[in-house]
Amino acid sequence: MTDLLVWPILLPLLASLLALVFPRRGDWIGGMASLAVLISAAWLVHSVWDNGVIAVALGGWQPGLGIALRADGLSSVLLLMVAIVALTIGIYATRYFDNAVVRARFWPLWLLLLAALNALLLSGDVFNLYVTLELVGLTAVALGALGGSRDAIVAALRYLTIGLLGSMAFLAGVVVLYAAYGTLDMVALASVVEDRPATWVALMLMTLGLLVKSALFPMHFWLPPAHANAPAPVSAALSALVVKVAFYLVLRLWLDVFTVALHPATAWMLGLLGAVAVLWGSYRALRAPRLKLLAAYSTVAQLGYLFLFLPLLAGLPDGPAREAAFGAVVLFALTHGFAKSALFLGAGVIQQRAGHDRIEELGGTARALPVTTFVLALSGIALIGLPPSGTFLAKWQLLAAAVETGQWVWIPVVAVGSLLAGAYVFRVLGHAFAPGDRDGSALAAGREELPALALALVATVVLGLAAGGLWGFLDFAAMSPGGAR
Amino acid sequence: MSELLWVLFDLVLAGLTVGLAWVAVATRELRRGVLLFVGLGLLLAVIWARLRAPDLALAEAAIGAGIAGALLIAALRDEIGVSAEPEDGYTASRRLVDLGAIGLLLALSWGLLDAFLLSDGVRLAEGVAERLGESGVINPVTAVLLNFRAYDTLLELAVVFAAVLGVLSVGPARPALEAGSLVLTGLVRWLVPILVVVAGYLLWVGAHAPGGAFQAGAMLAAVAVLLRLGGVAHAGLPGTAATRWLLVLGIGVFVIVGLSVMFADRAFLQYPGDIAGVLILVIEIAATLSIATALALAYLGGRPVGWEADCDSPQHRVNRGAADRGGDA
Repeated sequence: MTDLLVWPILLPLLASLLALVFPRRGDWIGGMASLAVLISAAWLVHSVWDNGVIAVALGGWQPGLGIALRADGLSSVLLLMVAIVALTIGIYATRYFDNAVVRARFWPLWLLLLAALNALLLSGDVFNLYVTLELVGLTAVALGALGGSRDAIVAALRYLTIGLLGSMAFLAGVVVLYAAYGTLDMVALASVVEDRPATWVALMLMTLGLLVKSALFPMHFWLPPAHANAPAPVSAALSALVVKVAFYLVLRLWLDVFTVALHPATAWMLGLLGAVAVLWGSYRALRAPRLKLLAAYSTVAQLGYLFLFLPLLAGLPDGPAREAAFGAVVLFALTHGFAKSALFLGAGVIQQRAGHDRIEELGGTARALPVTTFVLALSGIALIGLPPSGTFLAKWQLLAAAVETGQWVWIPVVAVGSLLAGAYVFRVLGHAFAPGDRDGSALAAGREELPALALALVATVVLGLAAGGLWGFLDFAAMSPGGAR
Repeated sequence: MSELLWVLFDLVLAGLTVGLAWVAVATRELRRGVLLFVGLGLLLAVIWARLRAPDLALAEAAIGAGIAGALLIAALRDEIGVSAEPEDGYTASRRLVDLGAIGLLLALSWGLLDAFLLSDGVRLAEGVAERLGESGVINPVTAVLLNFRAYDTLLELAVVFAAVLGVLSVGPARPALEAGSLVLTGLVRWLVPILVVVAGYLLWVGAHAPGGAFQAGAMLAAVAVLLRLGGVAHAGLPGTAATRWLLVLGIGVFVIVGLSVMFADRAFLQYPGDIAGVLILVIEIAATLSIATALALAYLGGRPVGWEADCDSPQHRVNRGAADRGGDA
């Protein structure tokens, strides 16, 4: 049963090798592998549902000497999200890259990125996490440069440099942890860390590295050019998945490993940076001239919301209120994953049909591409946080937790951020519904529009309705025996 | 007395390292910075040797100084006329970076100081020594890399693979050098077989003494670099299809071995004790070939000639021209 844990990593890894050796079979190999990863992820979620935390000691060596893979509620739902989004983006990519040579470059890297994301989510060892961070970073950079334009390569190189700085800081933190406590296993670390300088420095260095990678203000400057210049399927994955796993690691380290060393002031500082990110990212999204740039700045803002949850989680005592807030941050991350990938795929469709994605010149899009316009509206609903999207419930819990802990300061931030999000979404829709000179009378949906539609529907409808189950799942997985908490 | 000499030696070594690192970063001429950086790599190798970590010393010398140096110098060739001199207005952010680096250094020192006060200094070494007998090899470093923490090494091979996929997707390889003078080609002809034998030795010896796949792979890659400098355009790499297979061999064999033992009711990568040594050697041979191929392709700096000739089906050939203009022009 514990073998379940290796499949989401090994399947895409092997498929990546095959896609390089058989370049003409890339679509087939990639599709099959993505489907198999989805099945293994669903199986894993099911198994965590039945048994609680699942762990395997690789090589049979006890964790510490060897490396453990672990899956709990948090990592398994994120794994499932990654699998669904990656499969859908992969299907879209076969239409987006109409050139077989470019697809032959895309598939090995794409499958390797999928393996890396899954490896990161399942890893239970801090040094192994560093290796997975490097793997995610390198594949993401190479995918971002696939477009081949000068801007794309410049942005990718900047992304590479900044990503390496981030992983170096993370590695330095790992070094301090190992020097002080003599183990790299996260569960073992959680039981031995003490509240003292070595732990503070390790926590600071690792968090700093992850903040750079998750593009929290003011370390967000690399994200908009990198995400806006990558090919649309890649942008979708970068915004929806790659920055998300860095945030997952922050959550994992703060809540599971460094619990004793966590001071409310530190959490407040990250919350404040998150608040600035919400306001600044939303403002820049409102002023963005291009749809993909808007989506990228919106990612900066949405990640800000995720960091707002940290001071709340630090301020709430263990109990139902804290579990509600924890479920809300996961729901927020999931909804953003689906909504943002839908938005980027929609932007990709528009860019390919119209030859550009300048927002001012979107007139006529609603007539020519009704399905894609619907996708923009649906993902907009999720980004603003209107019901029935998952974001609505998550923001509701965020406000409830802010009241509960007396941290009133976050409430106006959420209010203003949501208003700005409404403004930038309606700005796009306003232009899209304006009459244009491009008369496309075809009301039929093109096949390349459907993946985005599926993602947007999950974000807006499915996650909103199924959220109750998510809370139940996370609670159960957290309480079960063997859980780190 | 000799104790004191060693302390002096260490102090000089430490001072030189910091000084060289500083000059390598501060120098305004890119070429000089690269050369100093290669020197720094060699110095680090000496430090690892001083710390009685000969495996790391070998790896640092072969990869950190050798192959990385070759890559940097090859990259310099593309950047003729570019200097590292800061542009106007760039100095403020440069100063900010300096301050940040100093802050990080102080924090790291504080953390490490506290860590050393806290720790007994043994950490995992005792556990490794205790279980070394079950690992199938005698060299503890190889035991950690290929058995206890084999999964890390598998993912590190994937990192190398990712890097080379990135190199291959960005553009075509650099044009080859013209065939060198008779002296140079003669020297290459002498050195290549010797280096191949050294690589084989490093690989074999890794089971019980310093050495292993990464060092051997770097040595084989050095062969490719030499061949390329001697004017051999393909740098010793076989045809496209074979090169692709070589590139994926290391990870492929690693995963297949891991899965085979898993299907025999063990954990992933849990080698049976009696054949662990053989399995490790098989994995290391495959990994050596893949690492060497990857590093050689990285030195070429892009897709070799004809790399994507078989990527598209015939009906798509027409589109090919567009891709070439986009990517290969």
